[in-house]
Amino acid sequence: MDIDIIELSKGSAKFVLSGTNPAFANGIRRAMIADVPTLAIEYVNLYDNTSVLYDEQLGLRLALVPLTTDGDYVPQSDCDCGAVDGVGCPNCEVSLRLDVEGPKMVYSGDFISADPKVRPADEKIPIVELKEGQRVMLEAIAHVGYGRDHVRWQAGVACGYKHLPTVEVEPCPECGNVLVECPEHAVFMARSIENLTEKDELKCIKCGNVRHIFDLTDPSLKVTYDQHTFVFSLESDGSYSASELILKAADVIKGRAQEFSDILKDL
Amino acid sequence: MLPVRCFSCGKVIASGYEEFKARVEAGEDKGQVLNDLGYSRYCCRRMLLSHIEMVDVIAPYQ
Ligand SMILES: [Zn+2]
Ligand SMILES: [Zn+2]
Ligand SMILES: [Zn+2]
Repeated sequence: MDIDIIELSKGSAKFVLSGTNPAFANGIRRAMIADVPTLAIEYVNLYDNTSVLYDEQLGLRLALVPLTTDGDYVPQSDCDCGAVDGVGCPNCEVSLRLDVEGPKMVYSGDFISADPKVRPADEKIPIVELKEGQRVMLEAIAHVGYGRDHVRWQAGVACGYKHLPTVEVEPCPECGNVLVECPEHAVFMARSIENLTEKDELKCIKCGNVRHIFDLTDPSLKVTYDQHTFVFSLESDGSYSASELILKAADVIKGRAQEFSDILKDL
Repeated sequence: MLPVRCFSCGKVIASGYEEFKARVEAGEDKGQVLNDLGYSRYCCRRMLLSHIEMVDVIAPYQ
């Protein structure tokens, strides 16, 4: 197995994973979306809300704010305190306070967190606009959870992969011309193979346009897909950096494989 | 208020709304502003393009 990084920034990544099979590639993808634990607001104690939003709407907006997550917190279901009805201990919950009076726009950055390491990943998310005399005062309780239970815990955004396309261009055996049309400009239109200005297989979106121009048996252009090489692209919601997210997803798979092999050994 | 995340993909889009609004009001091209903000997928782009702000309409009736 081999990884070739094409693009890596804090919030997004693009890489080529080669020498593996679709089952593993899909396992990584699903782990990034559903199985990487993150912190998100789950309970809100409202002391005052005279804003234009109902309490429930406000709660939803707060829940969707991504929080920076480090490994110190455990999900309540795994915590020794045996949390009942969402009331846990310092190992499994973080409290964030919000007290703002209008006229003012309330931003995610206005939260005062009990743990300085847990902050809204994006400080500029507008929560609600308060007019003169309106006030929001609340305490939000964040828990660790999984994306499979609710979007608020979904760390991976738009995680996807495709097989690496291989584009082969050969001039027509009869007239020697090449004619290719492609919306992503993976292969530019060219009258002859010498004029082919670019051939970028990573850009190919498998549009199949070739098929409209040529008949299927046309030998001048062949697009096939490498079944063992995957072009991944993903974004992180900010709770982890993109590279942390990939590593955590791999850890999840490793942990599960370990658990499985432990069970097998005990049989 | 603009939804915090895109309905379809889950990307946080609310944080770019104020810049989007200010720049479009200043006469910039909407598509170009969305590109600059990094909202490349059309699911995220429609969130901003189709949003109607209701706070000022509802506020007097609180
Ligand atoms: Zn606990
Ligand atoms: Zn020909
Ligand atoms: Zn989207």
